Amino acid sequence: MKRINTVEELESRRDTLLQEQDSDTLTVTLCGGTGCRASGADPVMDALQQQLKEKGLQDRVSVQVTGCHGFCEQGPIMVIDPENTLYCQVTENDVPEIVEKTIENGEKVDRLLYRDPVSDEMIEKEADIPFYKAQDRVLLGDNRRLTPGNIDDYIANGGYAALGQVLNRMTPEEVIGEIKNADLRGRGGGGFPAARKWETCRDTPSAHKYVICNADEGDPGAYMDRSILEGNPHAVIEGMIIGAYAVGAQYGYIYVRKEYPLAVSHTEQAVKQAREAGVLGENILGSGFSFDVEIARGAGAFVCGESTALMASVEGKVGEPRPKDVHTVEAGLWNCPTTLNNVETWVNVPHIMNKGANWFASKGNESSKGTKIFALTGQVKNTGLVEVDMGTSLNDIIYKIGGGPHNGARIKAVQTGGPSGGCLPENKFDLPVDFDALTEAGSMVGSGGMVVLDENTCMVDVAKYFLNFLQEESCGKCVPCRVGIGRMLEILTDITEGNGKPEDLDVLEQLAWTISETSLCALGKTAPNPVVSTLMYFREEYEKHIRDHQCSAGVCRNLVEYRIDPDRCTGCGACLKACPHGAVEGEKKQVHTIKQDLCEKCGICKNVCKFDAISVQ
Amino acid sequence: MEKRVNITIDGVHIRAPEHTSVLDTAIEFGICIPHLCHYPGVPDIGACRLCIVENVVRGKPRVTTSCTLKVREGMEIHTNTDRIQQLRKNVAEMLVAEAPNSKAVQDVAVRCGVTDVPYKFHNEECVLCGRCVRVCNDVWQAKALGFVGRGRDRHVAFPFEKKPDFCKHCESCVDLCPMNRTPCPGPMKKGEEFVCGQCESQLSMAEDVDDSCVWCRLGDGFGCTRKVQAQ
Repeated sequence: MKRINTVEELESRRDTLLQEQDSDTLTVTLCGGTGCRASGADPVMDALQQQLKEKGLQDRVSVQVTGCHGFCEQGPIMVIDPENTLYCQVTENDVPEIVEKTIENGEKVDRLLYRDPVSDEMIEKEADIPFYKAQDRVLLGDNRRLTPGNIDDYIANGGYAALGQVLNRMTPEEVIGEIKNADLRGRGGGGFPAARKWETCRDTPSAHKYVICNADEGDPGAYMDRSILEGNPHAVIEGMIIGAYAVGAQYGYIYVRKEYPLAVSHTEQAVKQAREAGVLGENILGSGFSFDVEIARGAGAFVCGESTALMASVEGKVGEPRPKDVHTVEAGLWNCPTTLNNVETWVNVPHIMNKGANWFASKGNESSKGTKIFALTGQVKNTGLVEVDMGTSLNDIIYKIGGGPHNGARIKAVQTGGPSGGCLPENKFDLPVDFDALTEAGSMVGSGGMVVLDENTCMVDVAKYFLNFLQEESCGKCVPCRVGIGRMLEILTDITEGNGKPEDLDVLEQLAWTISETSLCALGKTAPNPVVSTLMYFREEYEKHIRDHQCSAGVCRNLVEYRIDPDRCTGCGACLKACPHGAVEGEKKQVHTIKQDLCEKCGICKNVCKFDAISVQ
Repeated sequence: MEKRVNITIDGVHIRAPEHTSVLDTAIEFGICIPHLCHYPGVPDIGACRLCIVENVVRGKPRVTTSCTLKVREGMEIHTNTDRIQQLRKNVAEMLVAEAPNSKAVQDVAVRCGVTDVPYKFHNEECVLCGRCVRVCNDVWQAKALGFVGRGRDRHVAFPFEKKPDFCKHCESCVDLCPMNRTPCPGPMKKGEEFVCGQCESQLSMAEDVDDSCVWCRLGDGFGCTRKVQAQ
């Protein structure tokens, strides 16, 4: 690739690339995000290439494999432009039909079109799908248009224009001023104003300064950072260069988990291309400003998402947090001022520079601006990555975008913010999703995980799940986090096994307070949140477990019994055959019974019963 | 001349030497803050969380460990507010329930006002204070001991679980270990643990030195039994 030496050269390169593009060409876009790949996008890709070759269509049709589109529920996703036809759950066997009907003859393959689970209507165009329509896809929208490993694609889509503008026309102070006006708050969880970090880092005198991109995304079920790095790594790099220019850093690190192989390889590729193109490295775009980044791979410790632990890990030490009495913006990596931001925060930077602080601030609400990506999972019809304006209500996300409950069961709560977040009950669903409102309600935006829970979920069990996760992922350095979480987990285990005592709830509250006040790092300080929020909103469930030894959701095995309703049982014998523990007995055509001493409460009998005769009590 | 900064601890104005920690300063000036993982001359990591204090930043009291907090000009510290006392007691409860078989842990728990614990005792052999690891790595530079694993798997071990030949056999690790003395009633068997509540020795490992306790009034604040028994 030819090196771009000035901003003017960059612009003329963009013009040339745009002229080469032809909007009338038939383009097949296949989602190549990890979700779609897991559901089989690779064989579809191979089959498509082969079919096109066999029919001699390679020149007429351009094929693009992009990053994650977000609609992971329906993957592998294929979009055919300019018609904007979206096909869901495409398999390699569907490819010949798609090529013949849609690509050659312009007809639709009806069975592959999206059928809206709410209205049961068939929807042809991608743009008309309610899941997409209710979103504001500023960041994810780019994923859909770009081939990740292609800098030309990124430049043609307006890439590095923000960098050119910053280097050509803005002072570092002006850049920080713009970020401040936009009121960009950190997307990694804390929601700390990015401009304040940048400013302190800039004002701290030091020969060396660093910027870091935190892509150590560890929350169970969250994958927005992964999808951005996989789909649009150049945007992260561009954001970091602008940030480095603003704070005066010469070097940067992208700290990404090794469990994200695609993200690592796409980022590596992007860094290489950016260096070759002259937008990264010495004398960027002829401005005299030099900056380079390196990719640091994390070994999968959840705690390394904490800034000081992450920096220790980059330094080659054990990834453990240290006290933050002196902030990392003053003394961070190798004791130098360091600006650390999350992937999503960095990606927002080029957008703000291109479209202006006012554009950004016009989105969102009073306390939080811009858009935020959430990983919507759990018991909703449409799961996937959703991007909405800050301040959108939980209701809109769960019902409008998510399409409501998955299997007709009533939605009971939503867990936001990953293990450090909390559970909010249904009567809080009109809350705007912003940093302050959720924190006030006892949860948090966090990195953007959103797990929808229905009435078949036991809230004590949910709290226990997250505490178990945190206990394993705690670094173990300080007493409240290591011992305290273990003690809370012990108490919760007792409660779910029917050994809870009435005073346990007070002990839990005392422990929660102690852990959150005295822990060394944010992992410990926020660890009790799952318990605190479920105690706040679902206390009666805890009490029922303790007092009546009952789990109304039927989840806690020690507290439930499987029973066969004699009026409904036809004696078909399905449950008897299915039970792996030999706990069902009964003659053919006679009512069956379950021997409670043998029953392991696995629920297989209930799943196989065609007559709804088995109930959990 | 050594540079000094002005700080207040519990309302007492102190000119503390720059670069020292709040805990060292407090002890130097006769203000007793309970601690366990701290040992004079060994770098602090803030593991036990017993030495927590309130550091007032922009009018807001923030809980932080005094061993890792360096003195800064104008700093305002409170070592014994109601909140700190309660939190410290809760942390001490956790510690003594983990390791009732340590005289040092029993001592500090009693002095923080712990009379009983709301959990089952665990009777661990190590509280992971890291004194041994730090004295080996940071003081003697021997690097023969380290932490292995994370979360509940965290433990102190030799490299690759084998005593290395570069261990200098200095036995500092053993000397500094808070677990190397059992409580006065003798070793407690599993299932028979209790908070002994009788100890009146100094927590610091200088406990053999007579008259090292300053009998401070502040000890009342966290229920230091030395003071009570002296009366």
